[in-house]
Amino acid sequence: MGSYLVRRFLLMALTLFGMSVLIFVMLRLVPGNIADILVDASGADPKEKAKIARELGIDRPIAEQYISWISGLSRGDLGYAYVSERPALEEIAPRIPISAKLAGMAIFFSILFGVPFGVISAVRQNTGLDYFLRVLSLSGLSLPSFWLGLLVLMAAVHWFGTIPIYDSNPHGFLQDVAMLGLPALVVGFRSSALIMRLTRSSMLEVLRQDYVRTARSKGATNNSVNYNHALRNALLPVVTVIGIEAAFLVGGLIVTETVFNIPGVARFLVEAILWRDYPIVQNLVMLIAFVVVMVNFLVDMAYMALDPRIKFAD
Amino acid sequence: MRLREAILAASSAALVWAAVPAFAQKAGGTLRISHRDNPPSASIHEESTISVNQPFMAVFNNLVFFDPREKVNSPDHIVPELAESWTYNADNTQLTFKLRQGVKWHDGKPFTSADVKCTWDSLAGHAPEDKAIIRKNPRKLWYSNLKEVKTNGDFEVTFVLGRPQPSFLTMLAGGYSPVYACHVPDRAMRSKPIGTGPFKVVDFKRNESIKLVKNPDYWKKDRPYLDAIDWKIVPNRSTRMLGFQSGEFDMTFDSDVTFPLLKDVKANKADAVCEARPTNVSSNLLVNRDREPFNNADIRKAMVLALDNKAFHDILSQGNDLEGAVMLPPPAGFWGMPKEQLPKLLGHSPDRKKTLAEAQELMKKAGYGPDKMLKIKVATRNIAIYRDPAVILIDQLKQIYIDGELEPIDTTVWYTKIQRGDYQVGMNLTGVGIDDPDVNFYENYYSTSDRNYTHYKNPEVDKLIDQQSAEQDREKRKQLVWKIEQILADDGARPIIGYNVANTCWDPKVKGILLQVNSIYNGWRFEDAWLDK
Amino acid sequence: MVAIDHQAELTRAGAHVTGWWSRIRFFARRYPLGAVGAVIVTLFILTAAFADIIAPVDPTATNSKFSLAAPSHLFWLGADFMGRDMYSRIVHGARISLAVGAGAMGLGALIGISVGLASGYLGGWFDLIVQRLLDIMQALPLLVMAIVMAASLGPSLRNTILAIAIPLVPTVARVVRSNTLSLREQPFVEAARAVGMGELRIAVRHVLPNTLAPLIVLATAQLGSAILVEASLSFLGLGIPEPHPSWGRMLSESAAEYVRTAPWLVIFPGVAISLTVFGTNLLGDALRDILDPRQRS
Repeated sequence: MGSYLVRRFLLMALTLFGMSVLIFVMLRLVPGNIADILVDASGADPKEKAKIARELGIDRPIAEQYISWISGLSRGDLGYAYVSERPALEEIAPRIPISAKLAGMAIFFSILFGVPFGVISAVRQNTGLDYFLRVLSLSGLSLPSFWLGLLVLMAAVHWFGTIPIYDSNPHGFLQDVAMLGLPALVVGFRSSALIMRLTRSSMLEVLRQDYVRTARSKGATNNSVNYNHALRNALLPVVTVIGIEAAFLVGGLIVTETVFNIPGVARFLVEAILWRDYPIVQNLVMLIAFVVVMVNFLVDMAYMALDPRIKFAD
Repeated sequence: MRLREAILAASSAALVWAAVPAFAQKAGGTLRISHRDNPPSASIHEESTISVNQPFMAVFNNLVFFDPREKVNSPDHIVPELAESWTYNADNTQLTFKLRQGVKWHDGKPFTSADVKCTWDSLAGHAPEDKAIIRKNPRKLWYSNLKEVKTNGDFEVTFVLGRPQPSFLTMLAGGYSPVYACHVPDRAMRSKPIGTGPFKVVDFKRNESIKLVKNPDYWKKDRPYLDAIDWKIVPNRSTRMLGFQSGEFDMTFDSDVTFPLLKDVKANKADAVCEARPTNVSSNLLVNRDREPFNNADIRKAMVLALDNKAFHDILSQGNDLEGAVMLPPPAGFWGMPKEQLPKLLGHSPDRKKTLAEAQELMKKAGYGPDKMLKIKVATRNIAIYRDPAVILIDQLKQIYIDGELEPIDTTVWYTKIQRGDYQVGMNLTGVGIDDPDVNFYENYYSTSDRNYTHYKNPEVDKLIDQQSAEQDREKRKQLVWKIEQILADDGARPIIGYNVANTCWDPKVKGILLQVNSIYNGWRFEDAWLDK
Repeated sequence: MVAIDHQAELTRAGAHVTGWWSRIRFFARRYPLGAVGAVIVTLFILTAAFADIIAPVDPTATNSKFSLAAPSHLFWLGADFMGRDMYSRIVHGARISLAVGAGAMGLGALIGISVGLASGYLGGWFDLIVQRLLDIMQALPLLVMAIVMAASLGPSLRNTILAIAIPLVPTVARVVRSNTLSLREQPFVEAARAVGMGELRIAVRHVLPNTLAPLIVLATAQLGSAILVEASLSFLGLGIPEPHPSWGRMLSESAAEYVRTAPWLVIFPGVAISLTVFGTNLLGDALRDILDPRQRS
């Protein structure tokens, strides 16, 4: 176990290191840099461009730039954002809670709807209700979340004559929930569909197993069997799926934050890419990769803790 | 509303407003405005977009200013601001300003002639690099005739010009010419600028908001009326419109309401005050005259003849865009040639059938036809306002056997690419900060300019440009300007498809806003704005 | 192996059927949702193939007279603000979606299969390095990876396909590799080796066909997500450029402005994307049930 953890951590470190090299090189292969954007958009003077490039250090050799970024990163110094000329940390940090809140609410909604519907669908296998729920969950995987977002906005305009506009200083908890609730539902729809499908299939597997039949034969009523015995066991893989899906939420967040105009960290990534704001892009990508790698790790740990049958070979 | 009527109506409204006695204005309140995108920085001198001017002009003052009570920016209506008066020397090569005394920067330091010198030394490129208070300088060209800035005591400053240039004062009067403080470093100017203006910057949160508050020590007594201005950055236009309709915002961003949207805004907010005006941004065709087959003058001419300007206007603005030559056409434009002369210019003939037939003939002569289409790439900047006209262009060129494919180019490389001449045909937008011939001609048509994207070189035009620039007699100068417009059009230097017109709307409780009709960049001091609550 | 599985299914069900038509009918009854999916996907492919016949109007032709025209007998699905026929744009958009979806899926599968086969077959250092590279690629969510790639490559059809294909590689490679590992030691592979067959031939002739079933299931799922990712990229302005009628692009920028005045601009392209992806998902589910009995629910 101990040596498994050591190996695992080494692999994680290796992955993150590889990602840092990959993103660093890829960004610099992109045609055009911040100096081009700043200067060309308003008449070009090569001298000004060179000066800006020098100031920002993007005229140095790539290897040197990389080393200075990584050594800064290890000290907790993320460098300066090119566009705002403020420390990248100050630009990124305030946006994290916004996206985290949105993601948290989305996961909450997806469990709230995904698990019960999955159980119902499994218990009522092959009934009309099951078919309906299955189609519903498939549609959750098929609707592009930006379109769903636009539809929600259209509905809000139609019924309330207005739409939620993000305000960084909400007046109390309720407005906060109202502002993020709709977008969270949109993001969570896809996840809840996935959770529902997995709950259903693992429920079905459990329902077929012997101990459920035994419980039933001992005279337990149908409902108590279904919901007590089976659900507890079916939840095991579902918990892990929730973990994995949390990482994939990032994709949904990017488009949803764009549609609902929420100044979160996901939309910021796209803006930073368009502006060639390397310090922001690099650090954000590393943040996302770190979250994904950590979540995968925690999911594996959860597997081990919850299911004694799984043993990891040293 | 047609534009001419709009201007008339608005100017009579302005008269009424000016006649209202001063006690009618109410002080206090916060004006809430939506902003369309993230301003690249807060430093007006370093940027060339309304995204910076509209929110940040209120932080600054100029030496002189286009009269904020006049609809049309013109050399006849320039009023003092930080300067109290100005005089020329006998041969019109020295312009001396007497400066206002007792004016303070927002940080409490006094304003003096040194600040004026610092600002224009940097702009003209005379300041040493470490002393420059700007990092980049998009309007360096404006000041190529400025030889020296001399101070005489703390409150007098003289601009020494290489030759007489009546437009020089005009350029100082625009929104792009604020006075910067010597003691504030360029980085601060980009993030939290300090000025002498009616409002102070509280904070500028990227992608989120800009907050300004009243400057209590403003040198103009009893101004501004507003306590604060709150800008919220909302990149999605439909969200901005809905926010305005639902009362989230008191005012839309400048020219944000396109004609297709206007109907919707009016339908959902019946009391909204909306005004249409040209933005002085022209859409124009770039043809790379150095490249095969466009070095053939016939093909270039055919392309100009094939353009159906009206179809562009009908699609892009429901017919409200303006037909014009190189200068913004009157009545909104001060310098453009009279409407009656326009049809004589190449590409502006109302007889579409004839010109199209002529264009097809020219193409056939060059060896193209329905069976032998000329395949080209149409480059444009990859944002909607550029792409939309480019899509229409491609559609229209089909009629003259040109099969165009759109090549959308990222903003980051667009200007570099066209400057290098690395394109065949391009769809471009040209914004003019001040409706002035020097500003427009030197930048876009002078043979040595970097931004003469089509590399059009004509010694005769260069000579005429210099000649009009030095001409003191207004009427004679106008004749010269029109002649240049004529030559540029007939040579197809950069065929002008039209001048964009769009609407700006506000709630009726917002008073004291006056939109100037020949530039969107100049009228945003906000010191006379007030809320009637 | 696919054919054998079909047959097994038929025999299990006790159906005595011959001929492909009867088979289709049998499966349609057994998997009604899958049949619906198959119909949707077939329609989608036919639409893309015969777009010029189904919608003869030029999808890029502008006309000021019909700016924002509402759906009518002239414009079945309305017109956008340039007066372009939305019906024609959506029909031709199927082409873009299919090209990107199938292109990205095919390219991703091709690279994934080669990498996975090589990795599983060669093992050792090569395998180790490939696995670590795949780890790195999987450390970013699909859309994020595609966004970074698309921004690096610039907007065009080819680049969009590339930007979506590369992030799809790891999943395919992993599936092929794990199958290869288990198949490598199977008796029939040993037998082939014994009769002196070359390793490359064994890999292609014996190992690859046996991993086909899970690959088909995976490919169908990836077709759906490739279409969705293309739509998202184009929506964010990073995908297929104008004037190509991409469904995602139709929903970005100007379309959203007319949420109230011209809702058809928002509704129809979204329906097109959703329906297509929905169809591939239904089909994918049914294929998984048929081809991959271990995962049957």
